[in-house]
Amino acid sequence: MDSSTHLLRIGQRGARFQLMMALRDLRGSFQRIGLAWSLAWHDIGSRYRGSILGPFWITLSMGLMVLGIGFLYAGLFHIPIETYLPYVALGIVFFGVLTGTINEGCETFVQASGMLSQTSLPMFTFVWRVMFRNLINLAHHMVIVVAVLVIFGFWRKANVPAAAIGIVLMLVNAAWLSMLAGIASARFRDIPQIVQSIMQFAIFMTPVFWLPDLRLGAHRAVLEANPFYHLLTAVRSPLLGQTVPEHTYGVLALMALLGWLFTFSLFARTRRRIVHYL
Amino acid sequence: MNPVTASITCTNLTLRFPVYGVDAKSLKKALARVTVGGVLGRHAGVTDVTALSGVNLELKAGDRLGLIGHNGSGKTTLLRALSGAYEPDEGTIDVHGRIAPLLDLSLGIDASATGYENIRLRGRIAGLSSREIEAKMDEIADFTGLGPFLAMPVKTYSAGMKGRLAFAAATAVETDVLLMDEWIAVGDSEFQQVAHKRLLSLVERAGILVLATHEVSLLKLYCNKVMRLDGGVASEVVDIRRLDELLAR
Repeated sequence: MDSSTHLLRIGQRGARFQLMMALRDLRGSFQRIGLAWSLAWHDIGSRYRGSILGPFWITLSMGLMVLGIGFLYAGLFHIPIETYLPYVALGIVFFGVLTGTINEGCETFVQASGMLSQTSLPMFTFVWRVMFRNLINLAHHMVIVVAVLVIFGFWRKANVPAAAIGIVLMLVNAAWLSMLAGIASARFRDIPQIVQSIMQFAIFMTPVFWLPDLRLGAHRAVLEANPFYHLLTAVRSPLLGQTVPEHTYGVLALMALLGWLFTFSLFARTRRRIVHYL
Repeated sequence: MNPVTASITCTNLTLRFPVYGVDAKSLKKALARVTVGGVLGRHAGVTDVTALSGVNLELKAGDRLGLIGHNGSGKTTLLRALSGAYEPDEGTIDVHGRIAPLLDLSLGIDASATGYENIRLRGRIAGLSSREIEAKMDEIADFTGLGPFLAMPVKTYSAGMKGRLAFAAATAVETDVLLMDEWIAVGDSEFQQVAHKRLLSLVERAGILVLATHEVSLLKLYCNKVMRLDGGVASEVVDIRRLDELLAR
């Protein structure tokens, strides 16, 4: 029967039942994926309502930041600008996807409290809403990526299919991190602050602005232990014509698997409570 | 779409929920609780409230149920449970038909967006496609009676205007089950009249209306059945003619 015209709710417990309901929620969100998309566009629309450039404001501001940092730091670090600027541009753009999805993830359910408390909309819809919103932003930023790759000639050696795999791995991981942040933030109001601090710390610990020197032992251990390093490398390196270390794919696949297992079981456990947290 | 015979069945519906106070939302306190081994205020801030206990309800097409009861008696909780937002702890809720919740005005209302944008948003939430919404847009716009104001941000609206917008958008969708809390009383008398007509036509289409209110006049106007809630315990559903009897209890 059409799910939109029949609502059945059973007061039942048990891990199996809860898992089944969580899967049903996920399925429901895919059936109405267009809603998440509309909500995401609506968000973008409201954010830039009345501004002339619209979402291209973020592109512009990010472009200026890339230029400024690119020129200044290239001089400071004594790295040729044609190597450094593309490197930092891609770093800022793709790390921005991670910060965006995870930081905004905190608001996933809190922002949707009005809808969640009087409809039977799938919870996952709001997770996809955050993801789509950030994808739309990324699409605007791709202008910078393409411009930089063309201007500095990297487009000839860029490995686009590998970068696409990298982006998929990044998004799959960002999605569970975002959802986890959403569930945790709904329950505990301290989480958004903590998440923000972590992401701020991460941008400096991850080679976004600086080039890693893999000769150093301790330094390398810190890098390898940083999941954001792997996430960023899988996207950035192929675009710059460099190879991605094989173990990076292993790390990312494992991270996606374990992360989703954990987040999904947490969701199955808390799903019916989230609306009461808000 | 196939016509659906609307019905609502609740069997032994029990709903408990934890109310998280400020303390319970603090991570520090929760961590302290874990590290101290749960000795430090085991119930700190989290209070379990039984909002509904053992509610049985059976409504069929054409029923217009009025929910009465003191503040905090569980009226809104029951409406939210019927909308599918709250899940029962025990018992079942079984609703056939497309549900339109009119519980609070904020659903899908983005204050900085215009009236038109909000109608679209609300339509999408209710499950319409963008095309279906555009097809109905003129009719909805007309029904709100807001005219040129629809092109303005909703934050400039008065409460009555917001009510018109929300009511028009929500009832424009083919609905079978309309869940309403109190605020139907918003809007001026002219709007009350159109709203009244629309509600009646909904009921004629063999829909179900569940309305929570304290206003006896509204009950008499819209409802043919009443149920009283007291601390989450429901009375039996009685005919509207026995309203006084129910109120007197």
